[in-house]
Amino acid sequence: MPEPITGRRARRARRPRAAWLGWLFAAPAVVMYAAFVLRPLTLTVQYSFYDWNGIGASKWVGLDNYRRLFTDSELFATIVHAFELIVFFSFVPVLLGLFVAATIRGIATSRLATVARTVLFLPQVIPLVAAGIMWSWLLSSTGLANELLSAVGLGRLTRAWLGEFGTALPAVGIIGAWVLVGLCTLLLLAGMSKIDPALYEAARLDGAGPVREFFSITLPSLRQEIGVSVTVTVIAALASFDIVYIATQGGPGNSTMVPGLEIYYLAFSEREIGMASALAVALVILVLACVLPVQRLTRDGSR
Amino acid sequence: MAHGLINRPLITAVTLAALLTTAACSAPGSDSDTGGANASAAPVTSATCGTGPVTLKGYFETGFPLPKSLSDEFTKQYPNVKFDIREDQFAVITQNAPRVLADDPPDLMRLPQVSELVKDNLLKNLDGYATAFGWDKWPASQLEQMRVSSAGERGSGPLYAMGLNFSMTGVFYNKKLAAQIGMTQPPATLADFDTLLQKAKAAGLVPINQFNGGATGGLAFPLQNLMASYGDPAAINQWIYQKSGATIDTPANLQATQHLEKWLKAGYFSSDINSQDYATMMSRFIGGKNLFIFDGDWESGNLDKQMAGNAGFFLMPPAQAGGKQAAMSAPLTYGISSKAKNADCAAFFLNWVATNQQARDIAVKVGGSHPMGPSDAYMPAVQEGTVTASTLTAGATIGKDNGAMDFIANATGAIYAKSWTPQLQKLAAGQQTPDALLKSVQKDYETQVKN
Amino acid sequence: MIVGRRETLVGRVLLVLLMAVTVVPFISLFVTALHPAGTYPSGLSWPDDPQWGNFADAFRSAHMGELLLSSCLIVAGVVPLSLLFGTMAGFAFGHLRMPGHRIGFLVFVLGLTLPFEGIITPLYYQVRDLGLLNTRWAIILPLIGLFMPFSVVWMRAHFVTMPDDLSEAARIDGAGTWQLFWRVHVPLAMPALSSLGILLFLWTWNQFLLAIVLVDDPAKRTMAGALGAFQGQWGTDIPLLCAGALLILVPTLAVFLVFQRRFVAALLQGSIKG
Repeated sequence: MPEPITGRRARRARRPRAAWLGWLFAAPAVVMYAAFVLRPLTLTVQYSFYDWNGIGASKWVGLDNYRRLFTDSELFATIVHAFELIVFFSFVPVLLGLFVAATIRGIATSRLATVARTVLFLPQVIPLVAAGIMWSWLLSSTGLANELLSAVGLGRLTRAWLGEFGTALPAVGIIGAWVLVGLCTLLLLAGMSKIDPALYEAARLDGAGPVREFFSITLPSLRQEIGVSVTVTVIAALASFDIVYIATQGGPGNSTMVPGLEIYYLAFSEREIGMASALAVALVILVLACVLPVQRLTRDGSR
Repeated sequence: MAHGLINRPLITAVTLAALLTTAACSAPGSDSDTGGANASAAPVTSATCGTGPVTLKGYFETGFPLPKSLSDEFTKQYPNVKFDIREDQFAVITQNAPRVLADDPPDLMRLPQVSELVKDNLLKNLDGYATAFGWDKWPASQLEQMRVSSAGERGSGPLYAMGLNFSMTGVFYNKKLAAQIGMTQPPATLADFDTLLQKAKAAGLVPINQFNGGATGGLAFPLQNLMASYGDPAAINQWIYQKSGATIDTPANLQATQHLEKWLKAGYFSSDINSQDYATMMSRFIGGKNLFIFDGDWESGNLDKQMAGNAGFFLMPPAQAGGKQAAMSAPLTYGISSKAKNADCAAFFLNWVATNQQARDIAVKVGGSHPMGPSDAYMPAVQEGTVTASTLTAGATIGKDNGAMDFIANATGAIYAKSWTPQLQKLAAGQQTPDALLKSVQKDYETQVKN
Repeated sequence: MIVGRRETLVGRVLLVLLMAVTVVPFISLFVTALHPAGTYPSGLSWPDDPQWGNFADAFRSAHMGELLLSSCLIVAGVVPLSLLFGTMAGFAFGHLRMPGHRIGFLVFVLGLTLPFEGIITPLYYQVRDLGLLNTRWAIILPLIGLFMPFSVVWMRAHFVTMPDDLSEAARIDGAGTWQLFWRVHVPLAMPALSSLGILLFLWTWNQFLLAIVLVDDPAKRTMAGALGAFQGQWGTDIPLLCAGALLILVPTLAVFLVFQRRFVAALLQGSIKG
């Protein structure tokens, strides 16, 4: 065991060489990241100031594309839709997950729960495209959803859920909720298993019911897990693409058009590369603006 | 040390950022070649597929067996030619067209609206082949829609695409169900048609199934038919061809749109119209679930097979009895990428499709539509009483009345996806008025034409 | 732990219900796949004459063998390199801590939240200019780049927990930095590495956006991208589409069921750290 002082001196002395070595180790990652993420990202910002159809010459238009983003009601609506999806992709799975996890906490180690772990994860494992295909079929006018409604005497509610203006976006949201609820439940359950059982026992001795127990013990201890669930699901909502592409292509009308899909259409079908890039920049900023506060609130407090 | 910690990373970051920006500081697209593919077509003396092995790269539309049957027959006659075919639905082809033509050029491709593709030099000028093969001696109307002038207007100028056949649209009906409501002959006027729809509704039938879901705005079919009933097809063509000053927002078109709205409000379309795709419509119609569909003669062969004797076809009736009839009629357009490797062979194939006897047989039997080519060319015999026979006859009527129109969805590359589809879906849901619909489409059209 | 009997019962019922909701779409897909091709079956009705042949038809017409191979090739290109690069960088940022490592790491962390749509447009032109459009490299190279933030953050999280003394000891034994990394740290990082490998496999296999934008030929796409093309081609035939979709799901589901414990653990940790 070397003397502490010698050790520290040795480390100091090695620093310059290790410095270069460190970056050498990081180099492959840095190169790939710079070439295929940072460079395109910079270009996205650059393109957003141009009017370009992707083939001919481009024209500098300054902030015009951004101006259009906020004045063109159709484009702006995509952002509004993304926020509406947060309700389904994020709030529903997290709240439902909290409720379910709190209820099954007591049986978290039973065999049923072990099976549930596997089953609830299925939607996370399959491609979102597959989820979209399954659900477009379930929600179609002759699908299972309508059949169930008719069976319980609610036949007059049946409709083509993905084909009507009022229901298409919520229907897309439900697909997202289905994908994410299992993940949230298991995340929160894992968090709950880390809570000291003594806390609950003490609460019981004080005569607390399950509701008070939930609000005074479970919820505060889960800050970090809730933060993670919210972050993951909010990103999934704002950046949604696969499900919408398969289930509705943004229709009917533009009622389910989300930024991700609009970027794709603008860039590759309408060939308004500049506008697509401006929307892309807005999306990147939007995601950061939503996620950073959540991280700050839930991470700092718990440490 | 604290300084070092803050400053050094900052410097690194700034350097990195500078590196990245310099990498990207030239304006995008400025170096792209604008080679004069548009200027003129190279004279072609003989375009053939040669004798060595050739693989034609095709990009075709899903759900339509015609190009596949034609290519199979072609390979049988010219064994050195093979096809490498990729298929997509038309909406996807429309989206992909520009970048596929530019970056992964097919030799033969099912084309959406051509004017922007021409503007960007993505399509081969076929005038050289037209002279070499004598296409310029065919009836001019066959090729008109595929000509684009240097001003970007369609209808005249060099030829940029070719048809596998030319199709006709109108109304198909289920004969058994028609008999149920006492319909013995096709309606003579629009008012008669309204009465039939009303009767069908009263008899508890679904009068019309029309695809209008997802990225498809199939209500454009009845709408354009109504437009032609109320107004002049030539004016609609002007708009589609992007002639300067043309507008879709005319009093006649407003009447037509209001009429469509009336049908929608009366419940003549099935209630899930906004989630119905093309295949659903066909499967329901073939399954006898409804009386009418608005569709084209590319289904004739299919309907003769699957509903033998039970399917009928009529052209949209005029507003006044005895009035002229019009229909959307367009070539099934295929083009050659300006960067295609086997352009000569592709052109030879297109000529073969129009002139070879077996190919013309296939065009009618499989495609159900009239083949391209000279007016005195061989015509396969068609059995009386079939849908195919009635669509071919209807084609003659349209020719006589000079009532052929291109499709309103073909006015610009983006007008269908961007304007007609969402607007018609809104109309179907009662969220848009006819007046605002036309104004909105016109506004989009003007921006798109200007670009 | 004190739990009331009634609570347990409610919990069980709720859990079964949630599982049912999760599984029903799969069952519906399966049942629909057994109906005669070209029909529009309604709801969850068992067909009178189950068409098991639909699976064979879908397998043939979708060229499923080719698709499997393609996805495997893409995974083989993405996952090992991402693991290697991510581990090396994680080691550098978490253990070597060279000058500038904080800002360097921060740049990676910021990439964690980047939606792929944010860079897809320039990426298309970049891949085109590299002449890689419609090759598997068009998916492999960008994916490695896009996976770097997560891989680096993940591996760094492992390496910061490694005590410095471990390296000191190795260095005194005369090991160079590379040997230190390869002989001492990589073996110790195996659990973290294998979890990362599972996540990267899953995300590659299911990648959709890059596949549909950068590769037109479904036979050179990922499974998810191929499924998108399959829908484009067979969306007109619901039972066949469902059969194809199920076939495309089978490999992931099989891998998942075999490695389920690792999977669940990896995904849960993955979300926490991500």
